[in-house]
Amino acid sequence: MLRWVCVAGALISICAPLAITAQHTHAESPASDSQSIWSPGASGILLVTHASPAHAGRSLTEGYLSQPMIMLSGHDRSDRLSLNSIVDFEGLTLKRGELNAGMFGEGYVDRRHPHTYLHELVVTGTTAIGAARASIAVGKGFVAFGTPDPMTRPFAKYPVNHHLSQILERALITGAVRTGPLLVEASSFNGDEPTSPSDWPESKRLFDSWSVRGTLFPVAGIEVQGSFARVKSPELDAGGGLDQRKLNLSFEHSHEGTRIPHHVLAEWARSADYSGSDEAFAFTSFLIEGEAEVRGFTFAGRVERTERPEEERLANVFRTARPAQDFSILGKTRWTVETLALSRGVRAGSARIAPFIEVSHARPVAVLRPTAFEPRDFYGARSLWSVSIGARVSVGMMHTSAGQYGAASRHAPSTMGHMH
Amino acid sequence: MSLPVAALIVLSSVGCKDSDPFDPGAVMPGPITFKVDGLGEVPERFTAELTVRGDVAYTSTWGGRTFNGVRSVGNAIKIWNVAGSALTLVDSVIVPNATTLGDIQVSDDGKLLVVATEFSPGSIAVFDLTNPLKPALVSRFSSANTIPGVHTAEVERVNGKLYAFLCVDLAGITFPARLVIVDLSNPASPVEVMSRVMGSPFVHDVFVREGILMTALWDAGIAIFEIGGAGRGGTIANPVQIGSVATEGGQAHNIWWLHDPVTGSKKFAFVGEEGPALIGTASSGDIHVVDVSDMTKPREVAFFSLAGAGTHNFSVDESRGVLYAAYYNAGVRALNVRGDLGNCTPAERAPDGRCDLAKMGRDLGGALTDQQVPVYVWGVQFSGSKLYASDMLNGLWKLSTQ
Repeated sequence: MLRWVCVAGALISICAPLAITAQHTHAESPASDSQSIWSPGASGILLVTHASPAHAGRSLTEGYLSQPMIMLSGHDRSDRLSLNSIVDFEGLTLKRGELNAGMFGEGYVDRRHPHTYLHELVVTGTTAIGAARASIAVGKGFVAFGTPDPMTRPFAKYPVNHHLSQILERALITGAVRTGPLLVEASSFNGDEPTSPSDWPESKRLFDSWSVRGTLFPVAGIEVQGSFARVKSPELDAGGGLDQRKLNLSFEHSHEGTRIPHHVLAEWARSADYSGSDEAFAFTSFLIEGEAEVRGFTFAGRVERTERPEEERLANVFRTARPAQDFSILGKTRWTVETLALSRGVRAGSARIAPFIEVSHARPVAVLRPTAFEPRDFYGARSLWSVSIGARVSVGMMHTSAGQYGAASRHAPSTMGHMH
Repeated sequence: MSLPVAALIVLSSVGCKDSDPFDPGAVMPGPITFKVDGLGEVPERFTAELTVRGDVAYTSTWGGRTFNGVRSVGNAIKIWNVAGSALTLVDSVIVPNATTLGDIQVSDDGKLLVVATEFSPGSIAVFDLTNPLKPALVSRFSSANTIPGVHTAEVERVNGKLYAFLCVDLAGITFPARLVIVDLSNPASPVEVMSRVMGSPFVHDVFVREGILMTALWDAGIAIFEIGGAGRGGTIANPVQIGSVATEGGQAHNIWWLHDPVTGSKKFAFVGEEGPALIGTASSGDIHVVDVSDMTKPREVAFFSLAGAGTHNFSVDESRGVLYAAYYNAGVRALNVRGDLGNCTPAERAPDGRCDLAKMGRDLGGALTDQQVPVYVWGVQFSGSKLYASDMLNGLWKLSTQ
């Protein structure tokens, strides 16, 4: 608890002055809309989660400071050079992981893992080529693949498909070209997943993996996206592990400025593990989520059906052996999760606080039998419930567009040379 | 045992087949019929490796399993009386601070039982077998080189001294996998005599015989070291590499260097490839045959592949020329490994030139796939006239072979 208080205090003390000194800061608005060159911000979620059951028929209730971050984004006056950065303090506040039934990855299972301290640090150069815009982004951040990061979406709890649908915290170089209604991005990056909050991309693995993403904007408020990635040995930082081939298709609809602003995201994802050219395992996901704002209240709902691997767990049942010493998994479980959230934001100057309640219901079932992992036996129930109550707190600029660098920015000016 | 006597035993105990056309002196084993004598059930944990000596068998346990609402981790050694067809569980020994016990092995003199433990802090537990049914812990060895976990531990004698060869887990790029050799001359106080980083990315297992150390290095295939048996100056403390070969497909997991007492051949080593697997359901990986007659230039000459399943550990009845392979979801397979496995007709070759043991008619049959329950066989051991199989899902099987 002391650690949380310290981190929260540090965030407030660092960011409040930044927010005040910014020439003109819009919470939850893009930097390019403001007169500021630099847009600092900080955010975090204080919450209590009750999971029933969490494991073996037993319920757990825990409190967290989740997603504590400070951010700094900016660009030069010509908007040709920009910076995106996020420092994430989950390594201090979420060492044991956050209860999140179905979530898996980076050595955690049924708890969300902490992200790395340097979550994002990307410098982007953008230019105009005729009517098109092109950019090159370099640094550590979000790979051009899949759907927006869950941190930028309306739920405190992550979807099960996070590691199927996003690739992040990689050393990358991303090129993007936007012309008319078409955006094409390509990334080259290190395949290894972080192994701890203080981990850095392995220098021997730089640019051993790649992705491409195409996005079509047929009309205002609609995005249709398709992306593919080949990720080299993500689970073994030394290399030599199974490779992944990932596919993601999505549809997004946004409507702002009406009586009922709303946003809908639907996606399908597939991630397959390969031993050489042979497909070993494949996991698919379908997810649909939406949010709408009515009279100051934000209602959000999400339904997903995602398959995940079951890996050998340690004595701590929320942790898995990492790296695994062979390429075996215990089983494959399909998670059907329904989540509802309600929140209401209140502003106080450049600060915003949004109390929320979030309820989810999950049903895990074994996809194949016989299986070495029977969810009903492990959890002690067929249905898993989770209730979270808390508040999102933010000061200054909020990070709303993870991985949309340069020409991929949804809020970028349509022509170069736009002066602020 | 003289060669004629051994040959007579082969003739009397196994249905005979024609001799190997490429090695006319060899008497070939014929098809094998398996009969299940009994099953010692282990429902609450996943069973891992086995070791059998006389009428006593020991099985290790693996991972975590939930049974009747209770989750148990793989920290138990099961002790079995296997004298009769009904396998009797005599006792269980819990090894503290372990979640998986992979390898388990009785020393060649029957005095010690050595068990590998995972995960961190990795170790080996050394038990005294003065009373084989009541193993008594005499030491627990760990060092800075075993911290992530000991995946396998082979107990072998080199120049009269007993050693344990520990394959230590990879813990990421900052702690590569390594082989650690421990002197067990004084079981109460094991001494680490060698540690060397090896494997790409894992070193998974070793096979030691006549002063030769063979290591299974996953994608790097196998490497052969001299540790006192080939006059290359190698020692236990400083193994000298003689040769290596990257086996087809990599994922080299385990090795058996065959010494055929009937033909005198020491030409072939068998390498188990452990491909991706879904425990309880599916597995993958072939058996690779490596010609080690020139240890400086080992080369893969043959393979055995079984559709829908992959191999795991081996046990070879060398007097009969039969290799028994644990085959996970395909139970147990028996292969005829007598004669020249690298010499086959064009029709028996794969496109890459290797001989296909299945096409050569060397698959002698299998067992345990006809049971009422699914099986997932981790290990096998031929002992006496019986074959024992450790099954992750069910426990310990005892089989007769005819």
